[in-house]
Amino acid sequence: MDVKLPEIGEDVKEATISFWHVEKGEKIEKDSDLVEMVTDKATFNVPAPISGILSEIMFEEGQVAKVGEAIAVIQEK
Amino acid sequence: MKKFPKWIKREMPIEAINEMNQLLKEYNLHTVCQSARCPNIGECFKNKEATFMILGNICTRNCSFCSVKQGVVSELDLCEPEQIAKAVEKLGLKYVVITSVTRDDLPDGGAGHFVATIKTLRHYNPETKIEVLTPDFNNNINAIYKIILAKPNVFAHNIETVAHLHNKVRPQADYKKSLSFLKYISANSDILTKSSIMLGLGEKENEVFKVIEDLRQVNCNILTIGQYLKPSANCLDVQEFIKPEKFKYYADYANSLGFESVVSAPLVRSSYKAKQSYEEAMLENGCKVT
Repeated sequence: MDVKLPEIGEDVKEATISFWHVEKGEKIEKDSDLVEMVTDKATFNVPAPISGILSEIMFEEGQVAKVGEAIAVIQEK
Repeated sequence: MKKFPKWIKREMPIEAINEMNQLLKEYNLHTVCQSARCPNIGECFKNKEATFMILGNICTRNCSFCSVKQGVVSELDLCEPEQIAKAVEKLGLKYVVITSVTRDDLPDGGAGHFVATIKTLRHYNPETKIEVLTPDFNNNINAIYKIILAKPNVFAHNIETVAHLHNKVRPQADYKKSLSFLKYISANSDILTKSSIMLGLGEKENEVFKVIEDLRQVNCNILTIGQYLKPSANCLDVQEFIKPEKFKYYADYANSLGFESVVSAPLVRSSYKAKQSYEEAMLENGCKVT
């Protein structure tokens, strides 16, 4: 499953990856901490939408992701 | 990358946000959650709660704390009340907050549209409690009275900041007029009134006490206090991140003055936990909450 940055506000176009709680290849449980992101307004903690293996990380820490872009892939168990 | 204090942090549950966004698009509705880029959007959308914004999504005023778009307003969407009522029905909401952009271009400021929304909501959802958070309608008594007659459960109007910052923060509004607005509702109805203050815009402690006292003086029942967060590049800068314990300090003072409900914390917004505030105020008034 592609983990995409959702629309979290009108004209909010991007968010910066602050840090990944999980490394590529590691197991992750649904609702556990996946990644921390920062917008112009606040810091957000993104929980994993499903359980599985974090198979891809598209953005490194400090990089900016656009709304709608996949930031990671979780391979469902 | 911006750095925020550790307490300015919220969850971003992706699926819940996507689901609610989908529903809002389906019903062609606006929310202040999206328009004001509220940091609580994830928590509220996960709980299937939203603050609906009527009268379009373009504002005729130019408040420097707000990210709602300004400019040429669109025609009133006469289907909006029914669309909101249907969305509330679908979400099964027992409590709903309706707010709006400011519409100085309309003779009644949009008060009639609020009334239509309240009536339609009641028709579809007779058990749902309704809170309205309105602009000042330029203190047009007829407009305010129209809404009083529609009997929302809570009638909110935000004073937003201390007196001396009004010119900077809400240049087309007026501190005293906002107080008169709330006073008029209290004097002419038994509807609970509510107001909200943002901190971190450069106000001093004695000024915060004063606005709390002034709101109590006009019999405001419910008070919320939260941290101002700059929503976009062209809005005012945050002057200070107020610590959580300071919010508690102001809440204690407000409670000592007799507000029936006070919610004060960094990420509190006007409509945050609105149902709980309403129920707390009702219980304080000795009323049964149904």
